[in-house]
Amino acid sequence: MPARRSPLALASRWLLWLWMAGVIVAAFRAPLAAGFAGLDAASPQTSRIVFFHVPIAITSFVAFMVAAVWSGIYLWRRRPNADRAAAAAVEIGLVFCVLAIVTGALWAEVQWGAFWNWDPRQVSIAIAILFYGAYLNLRGALDDEETRARLSAAYAVLGFVVAPFLFFIMPRLFDMSLHPTPGTSRMEPAIGMVVLASTAGFVALFFWMQGLRRRILTLAAQRRAIEIPGEI
Amino acid sequence: MFDDGILWLAAVNLILWTGLFLYLLAIERRLHDKDDDR
Repeated sequence: MPARRSPLALASRWLLWLWMAGVIVAAFRAPLAAGFAGLDAASPQTSRIVFFHVPIAITSFVAFMVAAVWSGIYLWRRRPNADRAAAAAVEIGLVFCVLAIVTGALWAEVQWGAFWNWDPRQVSIAIAILFYGAYLNLRGALDDEETRARLSAAYAVLGFVVAPFLFFIMPRLFDMSLHPTPGTSRMEPAIGMVVLASTAGFVALFFWMQGLRRRILTLAAQRRAIEIPGEI
Repeated sequence: MFDDGILWLAAVNLILWTGLFLYLLAIERRLHDKDDDR
């Protein structure tokens, strides 16, 4: 008997649409008071990118941590589904990471005069892209499903250390960042609320996309199992 | 409600978001149909 689509699941999707539509409206009508985050002097309107750039960067960090958790679960229980969930999290996390670096570069061009400034945060997010890009290369290089799952899980579990280091520790090691130091710059409560709401929306979007990607990977594995009996 | 020149940008963002949303919804529907087929 075919499973019915859950009306609750569908309602939650439309709730997300409404939520993000609200974030977009709020992002473009939020008043940018003088001194907002200390960044709006050159071009106040371009500072609205903060409502997307910061949440997207946070979401990529969440994605890499989710990948590390699923990889740990795979190493513990050896469930292929956990491996696919980790791979999906890295893939979607990389999309968010690239979006974060692109939106950051666009903003940097306006605020700092160049797309790339060798800012510690720019460098650390670029290293994160290379690190997780290497994860996908590793997966692509291994044919045997079990070996691929085991080695890539061992690699992604390093994310528990690597991701917090790249996102939070490395940018603070250097006293030359053009980025505002979190906690020291003043952000108006109204602005902070929109950033927070946007972050929640992007994280929810990530989990949705990751779930879809995981299901696609599962279908692909099942198809391979039919074509090559004995492999799953 | 919006500053001058910002309204169209908000509209473009809304269209992009709606497009992505409907695309994801379509993928979900197709995956669900494939689940039903099996």
